[in-house]
Amino acid sequence: MTADATHSPLDEPDRLVLHARDVQFDWSRSDLHWIPNEPFATHVINVLHLLLPEGERWFVEVFKQAVPHITDDRLREDVLGFIGQEAVHAEAHAGVLDHMDAHGLDPTPYVEQIAWLFRIVLGDRDLPPGRAQSWLSTRLAIIAGIEHYTAVLGQWVLDAKELDAAGADETMLDLLRWHGAEEVEHRAVAHDLYTHIDGGRTRRTVAMAVAAGALTTLWVRGVRFLIANDPYLKGRIDGRRPKASWALRDGRRGLIPHVGRLARAVPEYLRRGYHPSHHGSTAQAVAYLALSPAARAAESAERAATRKAAP
Amino acid sequence: MTDPLRPDDADLPSGVKHSAEYYARPRPPVSLFGGRGPDRYMYGLGALANRLVPVLGGLGPGHPPLPPSPGLRARVERVTRPVPDVAEIVLVPELPEGPLPAWQPGHHVDVVLDPDTVRQYSLCGDPGDRSRYRIAVRRIPDGVGSSRLHALEPGDVIGLRGPRNAFPFARAERYLFVAGGIGVTPILPMVAHAHRAGVPFRVVYTGRSRASMPFLDELPEGADVTVRPDDEYGTPDADAIVRDPAPGTAVYVCGPPPLIAAVRARVGPENPVFSERFSPAPVVDGREFEIRLGEDGPVVTVPADETALDVIRRVRPQTPYSCRQGFCGACRVGLLRGNPEHRDRPTGGSPRGEEFALCVSRAAEGAHIVVDL
Ligand code: FES
Ligand SMILES: [Fe+2]
Ligand SMILES: [Fe+2]
Repeated sequence: MTADATHSPLDEPDRLVLHARDVQFDWSRSDLHWIPNEPFATHVINVLHLLLPEGERWFVEVFKQAVPHITDDRLREDVLGFIGQEAVHAEAHAGVLDHMDAHGLDPTPYVEQIAWLFRIVLGDRDLPPGRAQSWLSTRLAIIAGIEHYTAVLGQWVLDAKELDAAGADETMLDLLRWHGAEEVEHRAVAHDLYTHIDGGRTRRTVAMAVAAGALTTLWVRGVRFLIANDPYLKGRIDGRRPKASWALRDGRRGLIPHVGRLARAVPEYLRRGYHPSHHGSTAQAVAYLALSPAARAAESAERAATRKAAP
Repeated sequence: MTDPLRPDDADLPSGVKHSAEYYARPRPPVSLFGGRGPDRYMYGLGALANRLVPVLGGLGPGHPPLPPSPGLRARVERVTRPVPDVAEIVLVPELPEGPLPAWQPGHHVDVVLDPDTVRQYSLCGDPGDRSRYRIAVRRIPDGVGSSRLHALEPGDVIGLRGPRNAFPFARAERYLFVAGGIGVTPILPMVAHAHRAGVPFRVVYTGRSRASMPFLDELPEGADVTVRPDDEYGTPDADAIVRDPAPGTAVYVCGPPPLIAAVRARVGPENPVFSERFSPAPVVDGREFEIRLGEDGPVVTVPADETALDVIRRVRPQTPYSCRQGFCGACRVGLLRGNPEHRDRPTGGSPRGEEFALCVSRAAEGAHIVVDL
């Protein structure tokens, strides 16, 4: 690479206009075990498909409630862009749930629990106005915490050359990387929104602690659920019950995010002076979006529709 | 025998079952791993949340609500015509305090002529010079925005928003820049940057004729620059323009939509291709209709050439929306009465009968619908 020093500002294209991409994925040629011969790693990542549809639908609802409280034009635009991206993410992962279902792994029992968590436990509550505002802030703080994780995971999957080497399904990799890239692209929005609307440290810290703890246990439960209900595994991989140490092993092999990286995300987020822009690479994200088959197809379709409509 | 992991009936259309509707009324969690009882873990999470809500609910906000952000105002310093139809406009801060916001190649500003006339123009000056912005505007026949910009004179003051980035210029090993006509504006600072940084690049600049192509003299001397006016080379030919970019070449294209489409289609899957985003499709086949905002709310008229969202945002500026193309669902509101003409393509099976996508859906001529807003 020539002239690194002068070229460096472009590592971080900034002030991005965020927009949703109308991506479509065709799962008809994809295996249930989309990392060949790696059912454990496959299901560790598959937990994302179980958590994200209902989780991101909830993000959208909460962010829509926050829109009227925003007094900054640029932040409002960012939030509106974020809402559309998350809405499409949710439905793209829901498409994978249908795909699992068609292969005899019905995810409903697990996903319904997640729906209960987001729609009932974290849903709208009957509260007096002051408390209602505080509840909105708390939920924004939870989203900001989770968004730090989605940005870390997004960057991980953009970097994970090991998945290509393992022969992972290309459509699935594109879904994960398109989503990961949009997560990196919009990684500052939830943090900026919480900071704009509330910014309190205590709420933010408690929200992250609870979110990180809950995510960890939900992830473990998700892996157990998938392996137990996988019609080809029936609870066993190579005749053995899954062990926690396999997560470390596959993390070291680069097939799943390393537990150490995920653990580090909490202190990183709670450090003073944290800003999401200090972690992850926007340049890498936009470069992937300029390559992603799904994102490119979406953009071509959109351009064609506009050209047809133009007078 | 077929592979057991690939059942033939796997091609269900996506989003048909595990939709938002399917999970809209979740039952209380039952045990996931054997047994029929309640799921202790999930109930535990619920109980923890119930305990935390009153505690966190007592916390006041970290700071009081913030005042609205001030807009940016700029004074026209200079207007020149590099070619007959193009106005080159140099803007400086209205008040000579502090520098203008920083920007990068690919950024644009919104020029706010009045609340209903906002136009986007790429910044095409030197990002290192924070004392002024430069934009260039081609006059569009019957274009309201462009003719008002062409009428600007030194000393006039306009509103600005941004800068924002819808055309991110990111590191690459080499670049191919393709510009068509006034589409050269965002490309100029990119070329200048690559040239200064010593990153290999090639530029192809197309246009009707040399005399109509602005800033020909600003492309770096001695660089790999091809100027292809249509009156000398015929209409742009993507094969000739793109050729076969070396691996690692990022392609940046800006110009008329057919040029962008042709170049995008020609660039292979190995090369990233960037083109600027633009506003959503205009309304086609629209008829004027009316929407009431809530049973007791105001009635607004949606003209044939505007969307319901455009009109409603004038009375309810905080109405959420996102894609404005009918796929994300952010603008969907409850439909209380009336016969709509649904034009959205809802991802994830929205309860369509009961909802209305403000950004694209309409109603028959003179019809009246009531939405929950
Ligand atoms: S704004 Fe996305 S569907 Fe209307
Ligand atoms: Fe997402
Ligand atoms: Fe996100």
